[in-house]
Amino acid sequence: MLIAFENPLNENALVFPILECLHILGFAVTVGTIALVDFRLLGFGLRSQNVAKLAKALAPWTLFGLVTVLLSGPMLFSSDPDMYYLNLSFQIKMVLLLVAIAFHYTFRRKLLRGDLPPGLSKAVACVSLALWTSLIFTGIFIAFVVTPGH
Amino acid sequence: MSLLDFALWIQNTGWATTIRMSAYLYPAVLSTHLAGIALFGGTILVTDLRLLGVVLRNQPAADVVNQLRVPKRVGFLMVATFGLLLASSKAEEYYYNPFFRAKLALLLLVAVHALIFRGGVYNNTAALDQARRMPGKAKLAAVLSLLLWISIACVGRGIGYIEPPLEKLHAGLLGGYGK
Repeated sequence: MLIAFENPLNENALVFPILECLHILGFAVTVGTIALVDFRLLGFGLRSQNVAKLAKALAPWTLFGLVTVLLSGPMLFSSDPDMYYLNLSFQIKMVLLLVAIAFHYTFRRKLLRGDLPPGLSKAVACVSLALWTSLIFTGIFIAFVVTPGH
Repeated sequence: MSLLDFALWIQNTGWATTIRMSAYLYPAVLSTHLAGIALFGGTILVTDLRLLGVVLRNQPAADVVNQLRVPKRVGFLMVATFGLLLASSKAEEYYYNPFFRAKLALLLLVAVHALIFRGGVYNNTAALDQARRMPGKAKLAAVLSLLLWISIACVGRGIGYIEPPLEKLHAGLLGGYGK
């Protein structure tokens, strides 16, 4: 047992689905705004917009979504910590989440500020899209892989 | 052919059965549906926030709306295609599912929204940029669009929480359920 006391979140049946909705809306905002900048790097979408300015304009929304998922996520986790902790898809998701956030605020930020060779733009956009998409897949698969002992 | 007959027919097609029975295909289709939601949701959010004057104010609304049209359609195509695959794979139980019905009703409202606002707002952005201030109907369209899509996402999540009692229904024990 990771949490020894009764979790108040588990006392109302509506809390979990409401948190899930917030989690879904939050990642849609995060991944959606990131994708629009990545598409711009790849030459699609908002092309008349300067890429650094576009990234700067959408960054607060990306962060807003990220804060929403990072608040709702641990609350969802707390509903059944043993299960999540042992769940392979969850374990992979947490590693990918750390990599995605680190990549987003280091390499990708540097590139958007013009501190990396522009030749890397497309590679950075593809890595970013792949990382954030993989979080959606590993998130969904938590409910579909067998957790040992559960 | 009733709607329920149609649901049974589509659920029993080979591909719908394959998705339903497969341990990993169903979640893969669901994940792709959600990835589409992120892309589609992102384009809706930025389009509507631009109409509200919240983001990209230095860019003409016409540029933002028009340039987001292709990614928006790609996102919609992803959500719709993979959503239809999900719906087909469990069509019988979704036929009885109140959240699924609510989702279809909300999607109908999206069509109504398009009928009302498409001509005057989304296809009329050059005129919106000419106005000194963003017209009220554009802001109304943006707010309603955001509210509609947020409710559709939430109602969609609700679908998974309902399990209609199919076995009892098949045994004829709940004659009028959900009709």
